Amino acid sequence: MSETLNFVENDLQLMALGFMALVYILRIRWLLKYKASKDRQAPAGTVGTSSFKGIVYSWANIAMPWSMESTRRMFFFYLQFVVFHLAVAANITMSFVIPYAPDLMRPTAVYRLLQLLFAAACVIGCLRMYRRLTNPAIRLISTPDDIFSLALLTVWSFASIFAAPNNYEQGEGALTTYFIMTAFFLAYVPFSKISHYLYYPFTRFYFGRTMGHRGVYPMKRSAVPKPTSV
Amino acid sequence: MIESARTYKANKVVERMGKKLNRQIVGSLTACVHCGMCTESCHYVLANPDDPTYAPAYKADQIRKIFKRNYDWTGRVFPWWVHAEDIRTDEDLHKLKDIVFGKCTNCRRCSINCPMGVDFATLNRMARGLLVSVGIMPEGVAVVSKDQWEVGNQMGVLPQEYLETLEWLSDELESEFGDPAARIPIDKMDADIVYTINPREVKYDPRTITDAARIFYVAGANWTMPSEGWDMTNFGLFSGDDDLGGAAAQRVYDKVIELRGKKLVISECGHGYRSTRCEGPNWAGKETPVVMESSVLTMLRYIKEGRIRLDKSRNKESYTFHDSCNNARSCGFFEEPRELLNLVVSDFREMYPNRTENYCCTGGGGAMSMSEYTPERLKSAKIKADQLKATGTKVVVTSCHNCVDGLSDVIKHYKLGMKVEQLVSLTANAMVVPERAAVAVPVAVALPLQGYKILVVDDEPDILLFLSTVLEDQGATVIQAADGEQALELTLREKPDLVTLDLSMPGKNGGYVFEEIRNNPEIATTKVFIITGKPELRRLIYERPIPPDGYLDKPIDQDALLNNIRMVLELKHAHKLSS
Repeated sequence: MSETLNFVENDLQLMALGFMALVYILRIRWLLKYKASKDRQAPAGTVGTSSFKGIVYSWANIAMPWSMESTRRMFFFYLQFVVFHLAVAANITMSFVIPYAPDLMRPTAVYRLLQLLFAAACVIGCLRMYRRLTNPAIRLISTPDDIFSLALLTVWSFASIFAAPNNYEQGEGALTTYFIMTAFFLAYVPFSKISHYLYYPFTRFYFGRTMGHRGVYPMKRSAVPKPTSV
Repeated sequence: MIESARTYKANKVVERMGKKLNRQIVGSLTACVHCGMCTESCHYVLANPDDPTYAPAYKADQIRKIFKRNYDWTGRVFPWWVHAEDIRTDEDLHKLKDIVFGKCTNCRRCSINCPMGVDFATLNRMARGLLVSVGIMPEGVAVVSKDQWEVGNQMGVLPQEYLETLEWLSDELESEFGDPAARIPIDKMDADIVYTINPREVKYDPRTITDAARIFYVAGANWTMPSEGWDMTNFGLFSGDDDLGGAAAQRVYDKVIELRGKKLVISECGHGYRSTRCEGPNWAGKETPVVMESSVLTMLRYIKEGRIRLDKSRNKESYTFHDSCNNARSCGFFEEPRELLNLVVSDFREMYPNRTENYCCTGGGGAMSMSEYTPERLKSAKIKADQLKATGTKVVVTSCHNCVDGLSDVIKHYKLGMKVEQLVSLTANAMVVPERAAVAVPVAVALPLQGYKILVVDDEPDILLFLSTVLEDQGATVIQAADGEQALELTLREKPDLVTLDLSMPGKNGGYVFEEIRNNPEIATTKVFIITGKPELRRLIYERPIPPDGYLDKPIDQDALLNNIRMVLELKHAHKLSS
């Protein structure tokens, strides 16, 4: 392994991670600086709801596509979301596994599965980019950051396909590109919409707490309509 | 540098935004990923598919961009990268007004459909509040807010009008049941239930008050209605003005506490229920000891306890139920109305979607008071119209006065030929009234003003005689003074509960007497009620640091006089006599 690859795999990653962690700490500190409002009213709603249940339900909401009309209605979009986010999580894991536990990547089945996942993420990224640019409502709300973040993840997923076999003896180009991109990704994330996962626990916590306290969460879905007599 | 480029109002909006931000709101402002999942949850979007500016994320972005530019450093450093943008001119503020008031009913449907938990409705309400704080709002919002601040209720119903309405409703009840006890008790102390209503009921639909009163009467409830603090609706919810919200809610709680009522029962009104039951303590900034429930729960309990019996065949139509957004999505109140509806009608058909997923009546969020946006509102109501039509029913039932008006508009506009009803009316209609001569409710024998000492002051003997006769007939002990000097002497000696004071008198006039009373610590707290034939003088006296407790213009109307005097005295103990 060349010194360059060794550097981008190890030192550069640690520097990028350290930078990301630092910015994240600052962001969380910034968010916590704002006071959380209180629910002063007595609990309301139906039996079986509470603030605690509301919080748990709210956090788990994303894993329950049946719980929201939007995810039921746009189920294919939801599936895309699942695959895309799994691929990103796998990709980040891979950036640790390659330098620190490379043996885990040796079995062909493992890296083939990862390649499949990254390829799927890449296709989904393209589909989402198409949607972002062509759907008038989405295009209107899209910022340069939204577009760049999506493009970055799509290209990163593409680069990961070639890095997954971790075969630097047959050329270091793919791995070097992948790790440089990973480092850039880590450094850019705190400034971009990709850091939404940092806020997710907070928004969902407070929304769930309020809705649970008021008996809305866990949510009761629309009952299936009875056939009308006309 | 940014500040100097803003108008005064825009600057205030930005400044005040900083004060309104809390962790929940900041979370909602930063967490949106612009995924567009919320888009199709909004009835405005569904009815206007070609206009992307109705999308909840776009609407929220109009608030978010101001936040980003001023409070989030990514937006301060790279504004163009994250679409951060400052608000600079009054025109910008007016554009924002048209979005937050005219393109959203704060129904919260998008909030519950957001995977990130972004609460758009709360952001929208915050933006409304910021605009209201600099006087930018639809005219209707200004008028209604003013009424609620000044008169104490949203529709500017005057105390006299309210009490008179309850009076004639009581007369009707009494004659319907043939029982002198079948009346609406006002300000009864220690009642089990203090019943609060929507001013719309007094103004346009008193039938719902009668229906509730009939149910309370037949159930043998120990109940009362307050003479003030009776409006449980709260325009602070719609205008985003937390101060108004807190003041209006506190007014209701204070009255219940004053009457030592055991429970505050809120008539069927979605936003009133949410404001009083859920948001009021938050806006007022303190918890309240008052126990509250919706009248739907009260009626349901009476049925379960066998205190009222029903014959549901009396409600012969086919019925569907519309969930109010505020009840269902903000208070988790959706099963109980269905349970009650199933008990009072035979043919109930669920509408789809329902409960927390129901579509807004399209008249929510104060939309009914913003006539400038009526065309957009009615266009967006196509979704609701289709939803109603698909039920195939004749009557849509709802537990919300605002929805009654909103749905009535939709039905009329889309010619659906349906009717809107509330549960209280259906329950009252299905109620079997037991055969009895009278319900065992003790009738007070005391006259309304018994135990009160009133000094009447006027230089006209006819007026003195009239006032004395009317007040003595009501049980008061009356003393008379024909001039200012005598009035002061009697006030000091007799310490009356109330002085009715003519302003224009020879010698020491009423203004002088009033000033002397207020300046003498021994009698300063004496209640003074101005009666004058010169209203312009009344205005002068009202500008004093401690104004009089009430006023009436000549010629004197007997009923108005008694109502007003009771209102002035009720601060102590007047209406306990009325029951």
